[in-house]
Amino acid sequence: MDIAVLIKQSLDVQELRVDQDTGKIYVEDAPTKAGDIDLNAAEEAVRLKERLGGKAVALMLSTWGSSGRRQKEAREALTRVLAMGLDEAVLIMGEGAERADTYVVAKALAREIGNRFQLVLAGEGSEDNFSGLLPARLAAELGWPYVAYATSLEVEGDVATVTRSLEDFEEVVKVKLPAVISVTQEINKPRVPKLMEIVKARKKPMDAKNFSSSEEPKVRIRELRVPKVERKRVIIEGDKDEAAEKLIQALKEEGVI
Amino acid sequence: MRILVFSHYPDLAAELVSAGSGLGDVSLLATSDMREAVSGIKGAREILICEGVESGDQETLVELISGLASDFDVILLSGDRRGRELVGQVAHRVGGSSAVDASGLSVSGGNLIVERMTFGGKAIAVEELALPAVVSVQKGKFKPLEEGEPSIREISPPSMERRIQVVERREKPKVGVPLDKADIVVAVGRGFRRKEDLKLAYDLADVLGGVVGATRPVAADLKWMDEEVWIGISGVRISPKLLIVVGASGQQQFAAGIMDSKVVVAINNDPKAPIFEQSDYGVVMDLYEFLPVLTEKLRKLKGV
Repeated sequence: MDIAVLIKQSLDVQELRVDQDTGKIYVEDAPTKAGDIDLNAAEEAVRLKERLGGKAVALMLSTWGSSGRRQKEAREALTRVLAMGLDEAVLIMGEGAERADTYVVAKALAREIGNRFQLVLAGEGSEDNFSGLLPARLAAELGWPYVAYATSLEVEGDVATVTRSLEDFEEVVKVKLPAVISVTQEINKPRVPKLMEIVKARKKPMDAKNFSSSEEPKVRIRELRVPKVERKRVIIEGDKDEAAEKLIQALKEEGVI
Repeated sequence: MRILVFSHYPDLAAELVSAGSGLGDVSLLATSDMREAVSGIKGAREILICEGVESGDQETLVELISGLASDFDVILLSGDRRGRELVGQVAHRVGGSSAVDASGLSVSGGNLIVERMTFGGKAIAVEELALPAVVSVQKGKFKPLEEGEPSIREISPPSMERRIQVVERREKPKVGVPLDKADIVVAVGRGFRRKEDLKLAYDLADVLGGVVGATRPVAADLKWMDEEVWIGISGVRISPKLLIVVGASGQQQFAAGIMDSKVVVAINNDPKAPIFEQSDYGVVMDLYEFLPVLTEKLRKLKGV
């Protein structure tokens, strides 16, 4: 069974600088990386492949432009998952991809997937946008069933058994392959590749493809702004008794205790 | 504008009706097992009841909602996990646009304008969505309406081949007052050295009549607490009157989940922890020293 794993080149939001005063968001300066939950999807693919054989391939469509730096980061992100044990990677980049929304990306990825894979794995949401829209759209484009929020996954023949976590209950579902399944961070603990594996990963096939699409995006970002969160940022001084009393006094004045 | 709304949760369905009524005429969709639960919801023009479909059957819901979509400009779903699971599938089936977790909705120039949080809570995006648009709405942003008696229309279920079969459903243990509804929350982070030490936080929460939540490392990695109490953008987003954050550094993923809290207190022994930037009151002290003192003083004050 061959598995495709969707890896998003996510903005590293921890490193993203925003200026509360001017409202500027320094998107261009922030680095990108493979999202944390994408690593869980990669780990699950490697585990399945080890049990069932077949190939596991990372797919990335980069939407951050084709500057040298963004290309390098995209390759680094893919090298990371190749080092975890995926066999190959496909990197799609190029003009127009910056404007692509999930509608356009799903169409482009579906063309790449075709009937080559029996299973597509993804994270339940990307690190930087966390919408979870892409795997759902991809399933609809391929005409495959979609199961989200997997916390465990077993495959036997052409049936996957998925335990998934919802707010009030856990559900065990059986889904007929081919299918798209998104995973949560609880599903596994991604392995940390050793240096040797990273070196070897650089020799694994990475197929760079040019993005092309005739579809128009359906969503346009009109504006990005910094949310206003006004906090008092008062540091309470003194020893533990004084600090506790001052804090209690402040909370009484706030009317919250 | 014609708006179709659906949620598995009646309280969220009422919020969606409210959100939709700001845009146009609202039709509320419900499966027959939800008939009673949605009967009190006001403000929709009509309630569509689909016989023979069970609300837990996501695959059929995708088919049902996509089938109805041609009569509507906007489809609103709720921001819980099953709601979000539907958004992308329905949007793609109907060739429409999509967004999740909208905190604001309006119409301009024939597009739906959606405001939503992105970049782990560091930015608000204002997005223009071509119609038809399928959008999930953030919980708690729209107040249920009090007037408007809807008419009831029965509709028939789609016929389709199902490829997903639910074989088991296990209720999760209830955690008392859910975190997102609590007035007072004590959030614990990795500053606690052992699971047993969380008692310090539970004692504080008890005295205040609050509940205890956790950061991702404590809930998901260390597994000291259930996943249901994991606060953050991919966990629960909370909006208590008082939040006391103990031994958590304030990573972005967590910070985004606490933004709507009224008063935030941070207790952390690292003066450089980002959590102090996100707090109203900060105490730079070892939690093991400070919490027992604070709890004891509160206990005396409250006489409990």
